[in-house]
Parts: sequence; structure tokens; C-alpha cells
Amino acid sequence: MYTQTDKRCTLTELVAHIQSGDCLAIGGGLSWREPMAALRELIRQGIKDLKLIGSAHGIDVDMLCGAGNVAVSAESYVGFEQDFGMALNYRRACESGTVKVEDNCCYTLVQQLRAAIQGLPFMPIRSVQGTDFLKLHPEFKTMTCPFTGEQLVLVPALKPDVALIHAHYADEHGNLHIEGPPVADILFAKAAKKVIATVEALIPHQELANKGVTIPYFYVTALCEVPYGTHPTSCYPRYAYDREHTKLYYQAAKNGADNFRDNYLNPFVYGCKDHASYLNLIGGQTKLIRLEQWKDGIDQWMQLYE
Amino acid sequence: MNKLGNIKSCTLGELMIYQIALSIEDGILAFHGFGSPLVQLALHLAKRNHAPNLVLVAGATYGINPTPAFLTPTTNDFAMNRDAECHLSIEELFDLAASGRLGRMFLSGLQIDCWGNMNVTRLGNDERLTLKLPGGGGGCNLSSDADHVTIWTAAHRTHADNLGRRRYRLVNRCDFVTSVGHRTADGLPRASMPYRGGGPDSIVTDLGIFNFNHEGHAQLRYLYPDTSIELVAESTEFEFPVADDLSTAALPEPALIELIRRLDPLKIHERELSQDDRGRTFELDGV
Repeated sequence: MYTQTDKRCTLTELVAHIQSGDCLAIGGGLSWREPMAALRELIRQGIKDLKLIGSAHGIDVDMLCGAGNVAVSAESYVGFEQDFGMALNYRRACESGTVKVEDNCCYTLVQQLRAAIQGLPFMPIRSVQGTDFLKLHPEFKTMTCPFTGEQLVLVPALKPDVALIHAHYADEHGNLHIEGPPVADILFAKAAKKVIATVEALIPHQELANKGVTIPYFYVTALCEVPYGTHPTSCYPRYAYDREHTKLYYQAAKNGADNFRDNYLNPFVYGCKDHASYLNLIGGQTKLIRLEQWKDGIDQWMQLYE
Repeated sequence: MNKLGNIKSCTLGELMIYQIALSIEDGILAFHGFGSPLVQLALHLAKRNHAPNLVLVAGATYGINPTPAFLTPTTNDFAMNRDAECHLSIEELFDLAASGRLGRMFLSGLQIDCWGNMNVTRLGNDERLTLKLPGGGGGCNLSSDADHVTIWTAAHRTHADNLGRRRYRLVNRCDFVTSVGHRTADGLPRASMPYRGGGPDSIVTDLGIFNFNHEGHAQLRYLYPDTSIELVAESTEFEFPVADDLSTAALPEPALIELIRRLDPLKIHERELSQDDRGRTFELDGV
């Protein structure tokens, strides 16, 4: 239980809750609400050997793989969909063996998190048998159901060391409000030992309560206000996905690991002493205003994808 | 009406979207996953055509019956989720499938075998991974749990390299089984596995459409106006039976073609097609 009245801290202090070797659950999904500012800080702090778990992810996992922070990936999907295709840093890290591949599937992960949330050692699942996931996960067991006689797969409880989430709003106490799809964030928050959150804005408790509490404060270890903290992924309704920046990222990754370091990590991660200097580098107010203009009409919105 | 009168042909993408849409029954709950613009459009087409009571669950956002502002290349986007009637959580969608209430799912693979097993995890063997693929999301779970599965791929056609070798999409054996079809790689029938759903009932490709025979083996059911059995065989590593009633797949009506174009003004679905395939068009009958 995290009961302190004021959970606020700096981004540096927030990210320092993650230790090398931790099992880390990153919130959001694909190009939506990834805690990118915190991940850039994680890279700057040189936290290593992480085991990542998740459902469908993209630039967040790819960037950590490109920066060498990951030892094991137990994600269900890592890629850029039909937008840019394969996640190149992730691919390189898996293919060279620096990242151990322990791919999982969405429902299997959900059941493992639910076991942790309910304090049970495992949950049963009907799927997975007949696939090669059983080879990747020798910890999964099969048993005959004592009630129906069906063969079921038992998947063990999964308790991430840290869940890292970006929410739209929080109060000082740590109550979080997420707008739009929570993806697996609520499950992560309830299953994890620690929850650390960046938020677009801190607001008074009554205002937050009126919006609705998505994740209650006592799950939340610490939080930090980081506006535009998911850039270049989206944080609707405030701002859309920055495809232009993601393209620049992808081009840097496409030209090899060294090129990615020189032309992406060095300027945008190591070279930025804080989030404010990053926002300045990606185009400052002009860029941020453009990402907020999605709501002005479908034409402005579509332009962000051209 | 003038606009429709001008539509005298459809593209390969539009034909595939229409054919995937025809696999969708009215009144069921169906889910489109992510990274699958052809399928996303097929669901919206079905809902606005022959399946108005479809419970359409959008991938990644889990929004129900949204009206996308336009198709985006990224699935978890508010544009895709616009005006959703209500929302599921990730666990709720998969629970619905596990309890037998997901009518149809759509899955693809970088390798697809004759039983409909698929690989989107990795190429290479257990000792040496040669290509890490993005991974299957929840496909593994849903291939077991969904009532029915439509398989699709826009990369069936293979080209021989200068040594005559081909990298097949429809293969003899998957390097890794991410999602299950009608028999295990070792030939064990699906009925002997405790799955809830019935497995795949079609494979819609850029060259034609397979259904599955009583043994659970893919058999060629439809060609396209510009393909032949020989062309399909050349690009398919496994041998396949041909249905007695093999015919040419129906093309969409002009109104449906116009609807697809309206739903996808950025032509995102063409990104699933090869450069050559983007130029394939088919004359509509009676124009």
C-alpha cells in the first residue's frame, strides 16, 4: 500500500524506482500513450537487463532495445504495424541474441496478471496448447481439469517489479485518470509491486474525482507531471501521434545500430538534459500546436498522416 | 450516382476486402486486431452492407461499432475509434472469446501451412533464430477460442531468385506455430485438442481463395480474373486439392467500391500489397 499524501517527485527520482534486472510492464499500446519521456530518462540513467512484458507495443520497446537496456522480451507484438513495419532495433537485438525472446500472447499475459492480482499461483487457459509457445515457456504446465476432464494449460502468476504508466491526470495523492483505451494499464497497476506514473497534468482531487479514478492512489508509488510525456506517441484528446518524428526515428534505426545511436539516441535522448530540452528539439511549440490541431477537423487530422 | 457510374473496375485490394467481408456473418461479434487495414475495412464494409447487426470490435482500442474518421496506419488511434458505441477492456474481449462468444477472428502469418497453422513469431529453428517477426498479439489464444477464423495474406505470390529458390508464404511447415489450424504440425486433428472454436474456414490471398476440405486441408475454391491454378501452385509450397466447384471470385458492386474508397482516403490498405499488386485492376461485369 502506498499511502503517502503527496506522491510527487522529479522525473529522475521517478525513474530511479526501476532497478537493473527488473521485470518492467510498460503501459499504453502501439502508438498510443507510451510513457516515452520516462523511457528516455531510463536510458539516460543506464538501467540495464530489463525483462519487458506487454501486449502490443512499438517504439517504446524498440527504443529500449536500441539503447541496450533490455535482456528479455516477453511482449506479444513489437512493431510499427502498416505504418513502418518491423521494429528494427528490436529485431537486431533478438537476432543477435542480446535480447532473449520469450514472446507471449495477450490472453496468456492477462491470465498471468489476473493470477497475481487475485493472489493465486496460476490461472488456467484453454488456448496455447498445440503452439510452440509451450517451448518458449517451460514454466507453463498442462493438467487435466478435475471437473470436465479437459486438458488445460496453467500459466503462473506474473507480478511485474514495476509498472510504468502515463496517465492524463493525477491528484497529488496518486489517483490516476486515463481517457480512452487503458490497454493493459489497469491490470499492470494492480499486479505490479510498484506503479510509477507520468501525467499530463496534476489537478485538484475534486476535479479528478469528477473525471473518474481509473487507478486508485494506493497502487501508485510515485508520480511526476510531464506534459507531452508520450511524444511521439499520442495522448488523445490532448495531442495526436507524431508520425513525422516517428519516421525520422525509423530512418535512423533503418541505417543500422550505430546510425541509430548517432542520429537518434545521441541528440534526442543523451543530448537532452531534460524533457523540456527534448520538446524544444522536436520542434517546440510549433510542433506541439500542430499535434493538438487534430481536433480542428478531419483535414488537419489527416495531414498528420501524410 | 454519377460517381458510381464512373466506377468501372476494382483494385485487388478492394476485391480482397470484399471477399474477407463476405466471410462475416450478420449478428456475430467479430474483432479486427491491429496492423490489418484490409480486415478493418472488410468489417466496416460488412457492417454497412450485409451485416448491419455485426458487433464490430475495433482492434487495440476495443471500441464497439466505431465510425472511423478515416483509416490510419496505426490502429490504436482516436480516428479509428470515433463515435464508438461503448468499449471493452482487453480482458473482456479475450474473455468473450474464451467463453465462446467471439464469432469470427482474422489472422495472418508470414508462414501459413496447409492446415492453417501460422507463424508470426520467428524464422529459423530452436537453436538459431534467423528473423524475428513482430509476434502474434493475441492470435495464439484467439485461433483456439474464436468460433471461426478467416485467414488472409496479401503476399502469397513468390518470385524465384536467380538460383530458382522461393521464399514461400504458404509453406509445408511453419518454423514456429504461433496460431493453430485444423491439425497440429504433426498431423493430430483439431478435434483431439480441447479448443473451443472451429478453426479457419478460408484463406483469402492475392492470388485466390482457399477453403478447407473435410480433412482440414486447404483446397483452392476461387481464382481471380487474372490468376490460374498453375500460378497459384507455383507460389504454394504444399500441394493442394482443387474444389470441384472452383470458380472466379465475385467482384464488389460499384457502391461497395465507393464505400471502401470513402473509408480509406489515404489508401492505407494498399500498404499490405506489393508494389506490382497495387496496379492490378479488374473490369466489373456489365460496364
